[in-house]
Amino acid sequence: MRQVAVTGLHKAFGTHPVLTGVDLEVPAGSLTAILGPSGSGKTTLLRLLAGFERADAGTIGIGDVLVDGPDVYVAPERRRIGYVPQEGSLFPHLTVEANVGFGLAARDRRGGKAASMLEAVGLGGLGKRYPHQLSGGQQQRVALARALAIEPAVVLLDEPFASLDAHLRASVRADVQEIFRRAGTTAVLVTHDQDEALSTADRVAALRDGKIAQYATPEDLYSRPADPGLARFIGEANLLGGVVRGDSVKTLLGTLRLDPAAAGLGSAGQVTVLIRPEQIDIMPNGPGLSARVISYRYHGHDAVLDVQPGTEAGAHQLVVRVTGGSPRPAGSEVSLRVRGPVFAWPAD
Amino acid sequence: MAAAGTLAGPRGDGGEQATRRRAGHRSVALVTVSCLVAALLAVPLAFLLIEASGAGISQVAHLIFRPLTWSLLWNTVRLAVAVTAACAVIGTSAAWCVERTDLPGRRAWAVLVVVPLAIPDFVVSFGWHSLWTWAHGFFGAVIVMTLAVYPLVYLPVAASLRMADPGQEEVARSLGSGRVKVFVRITLGQAKGALLGGCLLVTLVLLAEYGAFEILGYQTFTTEIFTEFNGYSFAASCALSLVLVLLSLLVLAGEGVINRNSGRVSRAGPLAQRVHPPQQLGWTRWPVLVLLSLLVLLALGLPVASTLYWMADGLPPALSGGANVSLPDAAGHTALYGTGAGALATVLAFPVALLAVRHRGRMRHLLERSTYLVLAMPGVVVAFALSYFTEKYLAGFGYGTALLLVACYAIMFFPLALVGVKASLARAPVSLDEVARSLGQRRLAVLFRVTVRLAGPGLVAAFCLVFLSAVTELTATLLLIPTGTQTLATQFWAYQSNLSYSQAAPFALVMIVVAAVPSYLLGRFFQRPGQARG
Repeated sequence: MRQVAVTGLHKAFGTHPVLTGVDLEVPAGSLTAILGPSGSGKTTLLRLLAGFERADAGTIGIGDVLVDGPDVYVAPERRRIGYVPQEGSLFPHLTVEANVGFGLAARDRRGGKAASMLEAVGLGGLGKRYPHQLSGGQQQRVALARALAIEPAVVLLDEPFASLDAHLRASVRADVQEIFRRAGTTAVLVTHDQDEALSTADRVAALRDGKIAQYATPEDLYSRPADPGLARFIGEANLLGGVVRGDSVKTLLGTLRLDPAAAGLGSAGQVTVLIRPEQIDIMPNGPGLSARVISYRYHGHDAVLDVQPGTEAGAHQLVVRVTGGSPRPAGSEVSLRVRGPVFAWPAD
Repeated sequence: MAAAGTLAGPRGDGGEQATRRRAGHRSVALVTVSCLVAALLAVPLAFLLIEASGAGISQVAHLIFRPLTWSLLWNTVRLAVAVTAACAVIGTSAAWCVERTDLPGRRAWAVLVVVPLAIPDFVVSFGWHSLWTWAHGFFGAVIVMTLAVYPLVYLPVAASLRMADPGQEEVARSLGSGRVKVFVRITLGQAKGALLGGCLLVTLVLLAEYGAFEILGYQTFTTEIFTEFNGYSFAASCALSLVLVLLSLLVLAGEGVINRNSGRVSRAGPLAQRVHPPQQLGWTRWPVLVLLSLLVLLALGLPVASTLYWMADGLPPALSGGANVSLPDAAGHTALYGTGAGALATVLAFPVALLAVRHRGRMRHLLERSTYLVLAMPGVVVAFALSYFTEKYLAGFGYGTALLLVACYAIMFFPLALVGVKASLARAPVSLDEVARSLGQRRLAVLFRVTVRLAGPGLVAAFCLVFLSAVTELTATLLLIPTGTQTLATQFWAYQSNLSYSQAAPFALVMIVVAAVPSYLLGRFFQRPGQARG
C-alpha cells in the first residue's frame, strides 16, 4: 500500500524551473530518502509535500487524500504531516515537554502523551528543560518526538542530521531508524549525503534535473544505477568500454561476468561497464592487468589508489579501494583483477 | 555524460506552471493591510503636494525663491554639516574607546555615554542658554546639538564594532599593516555602514529640530515653518515644508547611494562567539579618560545641573502651585499620549515588518522602503499637514483632539517602531511557523502561540522607543495639543518662553527621569542579541 503518491509534479521559482515532473510512490511504513546535490530541488519537493508551497502542476496524495492538485489545496495544518526541519526548529519559548505537546489538543497536552513520546526517543525526564539546555542530538530527537506526537500520516525530514557532529550522526540516525521501525512510520528524508541515504533508507530516490532519475533499494541504486551519470553520482565509479559476449563482457580488465540484471543487453555489442573501486583486487604481481600506482591515499579503514593501466598509453586511470594490505607507494607496479559480476549499459 | 551533480535543468519547460495560485496567495491580506498603513503614512506628504499644486506653481515658486529661503538654506546646511561631522568624530571615537580598548570602567562608560540621548534637545539647549546667554546662534547651536545627538552615531557604530569579525583585523595585522592602518582600512571599513546610518539620523534630527533652535535664537526651515504656521501663512508654510522635505529626501538618497557604493558591511555570523581582544591603551588611557569625562560632564552633567540649579533657585514658587497646570496633571497627559502613540505605531508597524522579514519580492521591498519616507517628514511638517488636512477635508473634525496628536506621533515615529518590530520578528524565524502549522495549528493560532510570543519582548521595546520619543516631543505637540491640556513638554515650553526658568525646571527634570530610565533598560535590551544566548 502506498502512503504518499506524487505524479507529474512541477514547480518553478520565477523563470527558474526546479521540479520538472516528479513521480514518486512511497510505500506505507517505509523510509524513503530523496538524494540529490544541493540545489537539486529536494527541499522544494519536501516543502510541496508539507504544503508550505503549492505545486505549479501535478498531484500529491497523502494516504487516501488528494492534498495538492488542480483546484485542490489542503493547508499544511490539515495534512497530518510530521515535519522535522534541518535545525530542529524547537520553539525556544517552550519547555521540551510543551514543544512535544504543541500539536496536541489542549486536553491531550495534560495527559502523559508528551512524556511518553519523550520516553520513546530516549529523553525521559528532560521534559522540564528548555531547548537551549539540550545538545544538538537531543534537540533533534525532541523535534522528532514533536512530529511523531500528532501521529502523522507521514514524517518529513529535511537534512535532519546535517547539523550534527559526525560522531553523533551515526548514532542518532540509527536511533531514528529504530523508532520509525517500531512505530511503523512512513517517512521521507531529504539528504545530499549518499552515505546517509544508502545506510538509512529502505528505498532511495535519486533526484536529478528536477526529476526522479531512479527510485530503488540502496543495493540496486549502488550496484545497478539507471545510467552512467547516476553511477558517478552515487559513489565512485570506473566506467570502461566493453564488448558483450553472451553473459560476459570483454574489457581492459579481462573478460568479466555480467550481472544478471544487465543480461538483457543481449548482443548489444559495445557497452559501458561499471566497476566499483572495491570490486578491483590489487596484487603485487601475478595474473591480471599490470598497472602503475599514481597516488595512494590512506584513510585508516581503507585506502584509495589511482592506478594507470600500463599496457595502453591512452587508457583512463582507475580508482581502486583496498582494505588492509601493505602500502603501495606511488610509482610501484601492481596487477589488477576484478571480483564478482559487473553491471553495464549499452554504449551511447 | 553530465554527472548528476550538474544543475543544467531544462529551461522554459514550465508547461502549466503559473496556472495555479502560489502558496503566497495567503499573504494577500498582509499586503493589503501593509498598503493601508503605507497610505496612512503618505497622507501628510500627499496633502502637501496636493496643496502646492493647488496653489499653482508660480505662487509656490514665488514663495520659495526669495532671499529668506536662501538664508534659511545656508543656516540649515552649515549647521547640519558642522554638527554631523562633530558627531561622527565624537561618536566613533567614543565607540572605539568603549568597545575595543581596555579603558577602565567600560561598562559604566557604555551607559553614561548613551544617556544624554534621553535628554530632550530643547532641555539641553535650555540648560546652556539659561546659564550663559553667550550660548546662542550658530556657535551655540553646534555645541548644544552635538552634545544632544552624538549618541545617534555612537550607538550603531558601537554595535557594529562589537559584532564585527575580529578575524579581519588579525589577518590585516598578519599581512603587515600597523595598528593605525588597520584601524583606518579595516575597523572603520567595518563600521562604515553604521557610521553613515548614524550620520543620517543626526542630519534628519537637525532638519526637524525646533525647540532647541528657538531657544538659541537660530533660524532654520523648521523654526520658520513654525512661525509662519502660527501666523496663519499656510501657503508659505506649505512651500517651505516642501523645500524641507526635499532636503531630507536628498539626505536619505545620498546616504543610500554612498552606502551602496561602499559595498557590504562585513559581519560575522549570528553565532560569532569570538570577541576582540581589547587594545592596550597604556598611558594614553589618562587623556582618554579626561576627554570622556568632559564629554559626559557637558552632555549629561550640565543640563541636569542647570535644571537642578533653577529648581533650587525657585523652590518656593514651584511648590506653591502658582502654576496654572500641575506637574502630575501634565505628566498624566504626557503618559497617556505617549502610550497611545506607542501602541498605535507598534500595531501599524507589525504587518509591514512581518511582510519585510518574512517575504521577499520587489513590491514588498518597495512597500517597506516607502514607509521610510516618513523619515523625511519633520514633525512640524507632519503636524502642520495633519491639522490643515482636518480643517480642509474633514471640516475641522478631529482637530484639537488627542486622537490627532496620537496619530501624528504614530506617523512620525513609525520608522522607530518598524526597526524595533523587525528586530523582534527576526527572533521568530519562519521555520518555526511552518513547524507549528505542520503540527495542525491554524495561521492565526500560530501567530499568537509562536510569533507574538517570541517577538513579545521586542514588541515591548518598540513600544517603549515610540513612547519615549513621544514624551520628549515638542514641535508637533505644540501644534496639535488638545485645547485645555498641557503635557510636560508644552508646559515646560510655556514657562521657559516667559523666562520662568525655575518653574520650567521641574518639568524638564521629570522628562529627563522619565526618559532616561527606560532608555537605559532599552539600551540593555538591544545589546543583548550581541551576546551568545543558549
